[in-house]
Amino acid sequence: MLLSELFLPVLMVMFMLTVGAYVVAVLDRLIAGAFGAPQAGRVWLAPMARGAWLMTQHANATEAPDWQAWRLAPALYLALAAIGLAVVPWSESLVATDLVTSVVLWGSVEALATVVIFLHGWSANALLALIGGYRYVALGLSYILISMFVLIGVALPAESLQFTQVVASQEALWNVIRQPLGLPLFLIVGLGMTFWGPLNLADSKDLAGGTASEISGPPRLVWDVARAAMLVAFSGVAASAFLGGWMGPWLPGPLWMAIKMLAVLLVLLLLGRVLPRIAPERCVTLMWVVLLPLSFIDLVWAGIGALL
Amino acid sequence: MAVNWLRKLASHKRAPVFPVLGKQGDKALRYLALSPEIELVDSPRHASVLLIAGEVPADRLEPLRRVHDQLPDPFTTLWFRNEPWPHLENVDRIDDLTDLPAALTKAHRELMTGQRDSGCRILSDRPPNPWKGEGDFGQGGEGMMGGVPYGRPMAMNMQEDISDGLTLDSLTFRLGPFFMAFPPGMAAEVTLQGDLVQSWETQLEPYPQRLDAVFFNARKHPVPIAEIELARARHHLQRLYHALHLAGLEALSLSSLRLAHGLSTSSTLDGLRRRLVRSGFFHLAAVGGGLLNTEQARQFGGPAARAAGLADDLRSHDAGYRRLGFSPVCQNGGGVSARWKQILDEVEQSLMLARQAERDEVYTNDVDCIETPRGPWDEQPPEDASAILDEILPGLEWGDALATIASLDIAAVADRGGGTQSPGESRAVQGGSGNVVK
Amino acid sequence: MELLTLLIVLLLSLGAGLLVQWLPMRHQPIATYPQRAPFLGGGTPDSHAWSRYHVRYYPMTLLLIAFEMEMMFMYPWAVVFVEKGMMAVMEMGMFLAILSVGIVYAWREGVFKWQ
Repeated sequence: MLLSELFLPVLMVMFMLTVGAYVVAVLDRLIAGAFGAPQAGRVWLAPMARGAWLMTQHANATEAPDWQAWRLAPALYLALAAIGLAVVPWSESLVATDLVTSVVLWGSVEALATVVIFLHGWSANALLALIGGYRYVALGLSYILISMFVLIGVALPAESLQFTQVVASQEALWNVIRQPLGLPLFLIVGLGMTFWGPLNLADSKDLAGGTASEISGPPRLVWDVARAAMLVAFSGVAASAFLGGWMGPWLPGPLWMAIKMLAVLLVLLLLGRVLPRIAPERCVTLMWVVLLPLSFIDLVWAGIGALL
Repeated sequence: MAVNWLRKLASHKRAPVFPVLGKQGDKALRYLALSPEIELVDSPRHASVLLIAGEVPADRLEPLRRVHDQLPDPFTTLWFRNEPWPHLENVDRIDDLTDLPAALTKAHRELMTGQRDSGCRILSDRPPNPWKGEGDFGQGGEGMMGGVPYGRPMAMNMQEDISDGLTLDSLTFRLGPFFMAFPPGMAAEVTLQGDLVQSWETQLEPYPQRLDAVFFNARKHPVPIAEIELARARHHLQRLYHALHLAGLEALSLSSLRLAHGLSTSSTLDGLRRRLVRSGFFHLAAVGGGLLNTEQARQFGGPAARAAGLADDLRSHDAGYRRLGFSPVCQNGGGVSARWKQILDEVEQSLMLARQAERDEVYTNDVDCIETPRGPWDEQPPEDASAILDEILPGLEWGDALATIASLDIAAVADRGGGTQSPGESRAVQGGSGNVVK
Repeated sequence: MELLTLLIVLLLSLGAGLLVQWLPMRHQPIATYPQRAPFLGGGTPDSHAWSRYHVRYYPMTLLLIAFEMEMMFMYPWAVVFVEKGMMAVMEMGMFLAILSVGIVYAWREGVFKWQ
């Protein structure tokens, strides 16, 4: 009883946290290679070698950082990713925590991610990191609404805020077809949450690494792992909300789920490689003026669809 | 035991290198960008090897010491065409570009496996201002403000914002000369309020750039137009590499660099241009600002002036170019995106001219005034234009400001030739094919 | 039980994140002052970075508050939506229409610009 309800779910989440982050690193290298980045050595070894190097490198300090916040931010981001992974259902019964309000919980993870990323930029007490943190808040406050409307959209036909119910409601037709605007909008949220690729406003090149510009060694390792794990958690949520989760013919549920998560990850990583980093001002305008009204339309569409 | 195993694994990582660019160091940077075993990083905190590429002038030695000390342990240095400081132990000097990637990898590997000790700190371990013991809690300040808490004053210089007049703290700092997004050697004193530039004062001009030797030969005797146009296109593509790298388009920036390195009269720009337009570079990225007015554009000359609608090009007076039916291409924007469109158009035009000129064996005619990729060179080579930044950057958002700098070719042209490379090296830099002109 | 599991996941991942940072750092000496100076490409700052930062998107954050309050009503609304039928659609439709007018107004006023 204790074993199956406590120990196994926790183990499952921790396993996903590490394996997921590793898979993201390998996939990203492979995609970069396919786009012409020079490749050397074994791709599967590279993330581990990088991890080992960061463990041997000393952690940097700044003149007067907010020590607690600075060390807490990467760990908190990792914890948020773990919570995200915990609500992802792998099959009808295989869910780490099958909360009745898991959609709300995921929404709070998205909102808290903004806080944590800002904290990471602010606590270093260094100029470039600080700009990265404040810039990210502009993005974080813009994507959060889009995400909420899109997620409420998938909750409507399910009549529930539980991810397992959301998946079950897609028995007849996946939400990706039923609510065609939903998934593309949600993918943008995923890039925003992990400040990946075009939405990398927090750790950008023009800030020499932004919120991560002053960190090195183990804190940087935790930060990178957390970011990759968050991408995995997001792809799990996206697969459950839009791609019918564990449902599919022939193969067992968890395998379907893994395939769908990989597909979402691939799309996200591809987008990260082909798009330029968006200018902050354009980003905010685009989010509020174009994408947010689109998410309204998505919600109304989903509502009418749920009634018919 | 466990630690040994960890270090062994770490030695297999691609060597993370922070490049400090001295004179002509950007050539090494572009060479390393295409080396698979090297990872170039933007912050010294992310590096284990500090590469000092090229000669660093005396006025930039103090910043170099500062950057040197900012690498976290364990770290080491490697000196490329520059003599290592005498008190650094066990560091190498490399002179041949082709040896550089292997030397960097070796340095990182030896550092990880413990065969090489971590570098020593150069600057003395003192806070910027003495503060210990002062203040109520020994933090160096009094109450909420004042003093130098933890060695530095708080930001308290309330200035009115230049755009909305709000009075909030502004942050003044000196950036460079080893900041990745700046042209090599440039340093500026910047005041930011929020992420908007309030004032910009260029303190150190970027190093004069050495153009391809063909431009210097063209000032002595007629040269094949095919050769000079390929060199021009290559110069522009290399600049495009830096800008795309800054814009986060890693794959495209490398394509641009590869195209530059293997440039020949049979190269085409179509693929790169198509991918660049489709990526949304002209719509999404920070290409909004950096508008030059007519006066500034005229002062600047070259592609930047033509992007602002001034059809000045010394090539249109040259009999050789007239034979090829040359007429300058122009844009009428004058901002960052107009400049990049202009650069793409000019690269395309150069490739076309090179093809025609190669077929008809056309040579340049004028020798006393030539159009370099940087601008016109009649009596004097194009001069440094970094003072213009002080005028156009205030009011821009940080990303826009850096994109503006990347879009302007501000460095002066050195009046000594770029023919210092050995033939073997130029082949290495240009990816094997070099100038394919028969 | 679910909440307990969630709490354990939270504590474990947080602990792991902190432990990975703390364990290797126990024996490391504190960095020298020159190393701790913020990286500015060799340059130096005049002051600490913490300041009364000029947030350029401040009006946008005010607009967000208008929407965020509404989200609280949307969660229960989503659950009873199908039960209530067309009425729920109309209600939310009107609400969103009013908010959309707000966005258009804010856009016209340049709220999404860096000012």
